[in-house]
Amino acid sequence: MSALDRQLRPIYDALDMGSHKSAVVSCNKLIKRYPNNLLLKALKSLGLVRSQKIEEALPLLEEVLAAKTTDDATLTALMHVLRLLGRNQDIVSMFENAYKQQPQNEDLGVQTFFAYARTGNWKVAQQIATRMHKQFQEDRYLYWSVVGALLQANDLATPPEMRTLLYKLAHRQVASSPSPSYLSAERFYLHLSILQELQLYDEANKLLESEIGKSICSTSLPCNYLRRQIWRARGLYKEEAERAKDLILEKNDRNWLEFLSIIDAAFPPKESGQEPVTDAIPETRDFFNKIAETDGVKDRSGLLALIELEHRARVAGGTSDITVLKALLQKYFVLHSEKACCFEDLKPYLDLSDADRDEWTTFLDSQRSTLESATDLRCLINVHKLQRFSLPASKLTAELESGRAASYIRDYKEGLRLGLELPETELQLADDLAILAGQALVNAWYLSKEQAYLLQAVALLEFTLSKSKVAYSVRLMLIRLYRLLGAPTLALNHYRALNIKHVQNDTLSHFALSRATTFSLASTGDITYSSECLETSQVYLSNSNETSEFITRAFHGERYSQIPNFIEFEERLENSLQRDLVKMEHVRMRMIHEPIVSDLIDMEFIELKIILDRYHFDNRDFDIMPNYQPNGQPSFEVQTRLFGRNAGLGWLRVYLKMFIRAFQHASDLDDATEDKLLIGDRPKKSSDPENQLPLVERLNKRNLEEESELTEQELKLFEWALTLADWLEPYHNVARPPPTVDGQKTSNGETGSSARKDDAPPVRSTPDLVVRFFDDVQSEFEASVGRDCLPSELLHIVTIIQEAVTLLVAETVRFKSTSVVKIHKLSQLVQSLKEVRTKACVSLKETSESLVKSGENYGTADSRKAFVDACSPIIDDDLVHHDFVLNIAKNVCDSRKKTLEGVGKGGLKISSAYDKA
Amino acid sequence: MSVIRPMQATDMLKFNNINLDIWTETFRINFYLAYLSRWPDLCCIQESSATAEGLSTEWHGHITALSVAPEYCRMGLSRALVLHLEYVSDEMYKGFFVDLYVRCTNSAIKMYEGFGYSVYRRVRKYYGTLGTDKGGRDEEDAFDMRKPLSRDPMRRSVRLNGRDVLVSAQEVS
Repeated sequence: MSALDRQLRPIYDALDMGSHKSAVVSCNKLIKRYPNNLLLKALKSLGLVRSQKIEEALPLLEEVLAAKTTDDATLTALMHVLRLLGRNQDIVSMFENAYKQQPQNEDLGVQTFFAYARTGNWKVAQQIATRMHKQFQEDRYLYWSVVGALLQANDLATPPEMRTLLYKLAHRQVASSPSPSYLSAERFYLHLSILQELQLYDEANKLLESEIGKSICSTSLPCNYLRRQIWRARGLYKEEAERAKDLILEKNDRNWLEFLSIIDAAFPPKESGQEPVTDAIPETRDFFNKIAETDGVKDRSGLLALIELEHRARVAGGTSDITVLKALLQKYFVLHSEKACCFEDLKPYLDLSDADRDEWTTFLDSQRSTLESATDLRCLINVHKLQRFSLPASKLTAELESGRAASYIRDYKEGLRLGLELPETELQLADDLAILAGQALVNAWYLSKEQAYLLQAVALLEFTLSKSKVAYSVRLMLIRLYRLLGAPTLALNHYRALNIKHVQNDTLSHFALSRATTFSLASTGDITYSSECLETSQVYLSNSNETSEFITRAFHGERYSQIPNFIEFEERLENSLQRDLVKMEHVRMRMIHEPIVSDLIDMEFIELKIILDRYHFDNRDFDIMPNYQPNGQPSFEVQTRLFGRNAGLGWLRVYLKMFIRAFQHASDLDDATEDKLLIGDRPKKSSDPENQLPLVERLNKRNLEEESELTEQELKLFEWALTLADWLEPYHNVARPPPTVDGQKTSNGETGSSARKDDAPPVRSTPDLVVRFFDDVQSEFEASVGRDCLPSELLHIVTIIQEAVTLLVAETVRFKSTSVVKIHKLSQLVQSLKEVRTKACVSLKETSESLVKSGENYGTADSRKAFVDACSPIIDDDLVHHDFVLNIAKNVCDSRKKTLEGVGKGGLKISSAYDKA
Repeated sequence: MSVIRPMQATDMLKFNNINLDIWTETFRINFYLAYLSRWPDLCCIQESSATAEGLSTEWHGHITALSVAPEYCRMGLSRALVLHLEYVSDEMYKGFFVDLYVRCTNSAIKMYEGFGYSVYRRVRKYYGTLGTDKGGRDEEDAFDMRKPLSRDPMRRSVRLNGRDVLVSAQEVS
């Protein structure tokens, strides 16, 4: 080991341990002694970037990059720096350059391959792998090349004819391999998937029929999955069914896929174009009957398969007798009603006629028994769930639902006795009865808009949670209800108690953060929600830092079956809708928390534009919310959406357009400066044709489908913002400083635009809507206060007015400079704007004052008493005690008081800040 | 209906109904990717039409994570998943035994005993607290449970007095 090597060790250690500063200090010392050492400079820039000193790191980085080194250690250090900066294109050119200089260096070849893989450039990656295979004669490079071709084929941008060509190329390559693909299950998988795509079924069959092929399929689920697909594509339903029967009989396999295979032989799926095989039905029925008889209560597959068979026969319009299906449903219930999943199992088959449904309900009635054991309890829960599911519309009124809730609660009380001995870490056996009651109460509210039902639901569910501390589904329900009730702090507490981690931040954070600005107290300096937004977004950083690493590992380990899905996973997280919904909320909160100045405007302008170019994937998990609402009613999840509208892709796009337009007006950024500010590669634009239009056109394009996700007030805000922007646009265009030349501003913009001075359009008077909006929304607010609406609705209106004020500030920040006004003769405009601003601020002030007053009302004993009174139907001294409800009432009232007062005071602060400005 | 199929990376976006349960740890993304990129044939999922019912991944004869949604408990799902993993460990990887870790307070211990697993040793402070203030030492300690496979007919990989053999978490990881 050389002296330098020895001295390098502590630097690596420091970097590994996260002591980036000390790594930089050590580098500095050594650089004095070895001023030309590239590795030291690369390591120093890594330390700097990791300690967020990006500006200091950049010159050093450029210097090392320019040297075009081939030294392994330096390249690795540089790769880490560039990856942190998101400059994947530079990683590509760096390794490509090095590999060109040393074409014999296998390691550099591998790195170049991965660099291209990371940028999704599979075409070049594939060519490199082919070259490496020729040069280094290693089989795996051949397979890398095959994967490269397949991934290129699967790219959406690849035209269909090209796709087939690429698969054919992959096929030739696999065929040319010196060793057969069946030596490994993963290569075998790859080979099969190519044959499947090219429909070379004879060849696929040869592989599958071989001894080794059969053995691979028996242990490898992915290969077996492909085999099944191929057989189905060939129309071999009968053969597949025989195989499945063997597995079920010989190996006692109870995988539902095998049962489906048998049913598919009798009723081939539509896409196969085959007719039902009526002869096969009796035989299939016998087979399932036999299985059902042998398995009995032990396994439900046989009986469930019989039901599926009868159901398919009915759907296919065959001769199936409804009495057979009804008898089977009853038999299933009798045998399996003690299993918690009985309801979920039967649900798909309950599309019965009115008369049949009544008969089914009566049958279920006869199945109730006294509650002596956990089994009885599960059976009773299934009775309730199934009966509730089949309730006809005529029996759905608030009163009836409330009565049902009472009966569920009675059974819940009984059922709790059976779980007294359970440890705290277990779910109570009777939980589902309380959940059913909660759902019935919420449905009663949904039908009548009577808030008392919501309060009862909250009190009951809180009680349930006190008995069953780990019941996460109860927490999810409470989160939704507390948000509706304007008690977001309690919702957030439950959300945190769920202990959401890692990837769940993507799929579940919508519960806490959808339209969270409504509840944010950022205007008063409380950044709880802003921090929650930032924390939840960490998962996207770890995705972009870590997932690609595993794609390379999967290549190294030749786990080809996983690679496409790893890539899909990475893409779905990277382009997650929830990610950008959270980002949008964060920007909205910044606007009420920070001064609206060019730092904020420019940065968010760039980021929001990038988001507008994205193709989004919706990974939000809504199915996790339990739903036991009657068939035909909206689900519990839908019923409890804040403001009754799901803020999804449409909402995001409208908000993006609205904010980008305002920021574009406010910003002096031009493309050249923007590129300099942007660290890292520009993300690939999605191939959506709309993305090809110029930005201005895209921003002005309206889309009714998108707008349908907005609330009434949001839509008004959007129309207001459009009118305001249209009105001001010509003046912005005149007053904006000209683009910079060579990155240098020609002037501070005030004299530089003299050439366009004459073009200043005459000032148009204020469009009617720009002022009327505030009157409109304010009178809506006053009407809402009068009609006992949900507190969340009041919060919504005030935060929308507040948003209008901040957007107005952004739109007019340019005209604050007296010299701009003077040069472009805009004083008349400024006068009009002042009137608008005063109007806006007064409106915000008055509604905020009223909100503060409403908040104060929640601090009184009367309001707690009203809460408890509303809950009287569910208060029971042996179950939900009066004092327990009083405590909940106190929590809810406190949270409402805090939020309404807080948002109101924040609104006052903003209105006075911008009124004076 | 229970379908057994291979687990995929994108299943991480859909496994909430089993992972919100307090016994199940939601690991970092790279935990799942590490298993999938090494032993994809040992990661599987059991599901009904819409919801995941259970999930398990195995590390060379080690069951790392096995969880079943509440609605699907007590139905032999775990048995099916465990059997599948034992089969693959035996046939493909020629292992001597399969083992797993479980909190000493977890009621699943009985189930594993029913599958033929027995306690090999007790690992002190293997888990973090569940925050219920009860259970004390039993909550944080783990039982290392094992079951011999066909290559260990003499049952050398198990012992009778396992519950009394104490080791610290450092010794096993």
